[in-house]
Amino acid sequence: MKIKLKLYASSKFLSDNDILNIELPNSSTIGDLRNVLGKIISEKNLKNLQNLHETSAFFGEVDEVISDNYKLKDKETISIIPPIGGG
Amino acid sequence: MSIHSALVKTEEQKISIEKAKNFISSRDYGAESIFIGRVRNANSGKQVTAVTYDAHDQAVLKSFQLICNDAKKKFDNNAKIFLEHAKGYAPVGAISILIAVGSGHREEAFKICRFILEEVKHQSPIWKKEHYADGKEEWLPGHSLRPQKQIK
Repeated sequence: MKIKLKLYASSKFLSDNDILNIELPNSSTIGDLRNVLGKIISEKNLKNLQNLHETSAFFGEVDEVISDNYKLKDKETISIIPPIGGG
Repeated sequence: MSIHSALVKTEEQKISIEKAKNFISSRDYGAESIFIGRVRNANSGKQVTAVTYDAHDQAVLKSFQLICNDAKKKFDNNAKIFLEHAKGYAPVGAISILIAVGSGHREEAFKICRFILEEVKHQSPIWKKEHYADGKEEWLPGHSLRPQKQIK
């Protein structure tokens, strides 16, 4: 299945676009997505993003944090939320 | 309307202190508290020239409403609150956040202002990238919204 990951802040180093299309096995969870992102970061040697897949939260379509057990759906759009710091 | 909150796109407009003062002004209030956050010219020994703010717009606006409502319930239901945060490129000296509170008494006005600032920093998905005098730039570390015990 394919999902769209909306990128914010430092996570934009993952792609030239603001959205990263990711292919995952059916029934994958947020936890599985974390592992895939960890691999992408390591393969691209993005040292400045080293722990991003661990420290980020993920928002579902209603803009609230979804847990690692959440099962992703085909064509779903979610957002990666790196550690925040406004003000 | 007792709450105004917004993300202000820096390429389109500036955060206005006058607008905030006008919004909270009322003869019912004996206290007005205004907090202005600005882009500072230095951080961690580096000379900063500007900051770019990124934001998850919808979630930020939702969080602003929740935070302001919480503040009213906690400290003063009759307070008026103005909250704006910049999004986009902001040079040194530009306003990054403005919180203005009108309330019956100073204690509540101060408390609401402080409460909103701290909650925005810990709840609202806003990020900042600093631009330095040597041409480098860096996204700053922040507060993770993932439960701490789950982070490996």
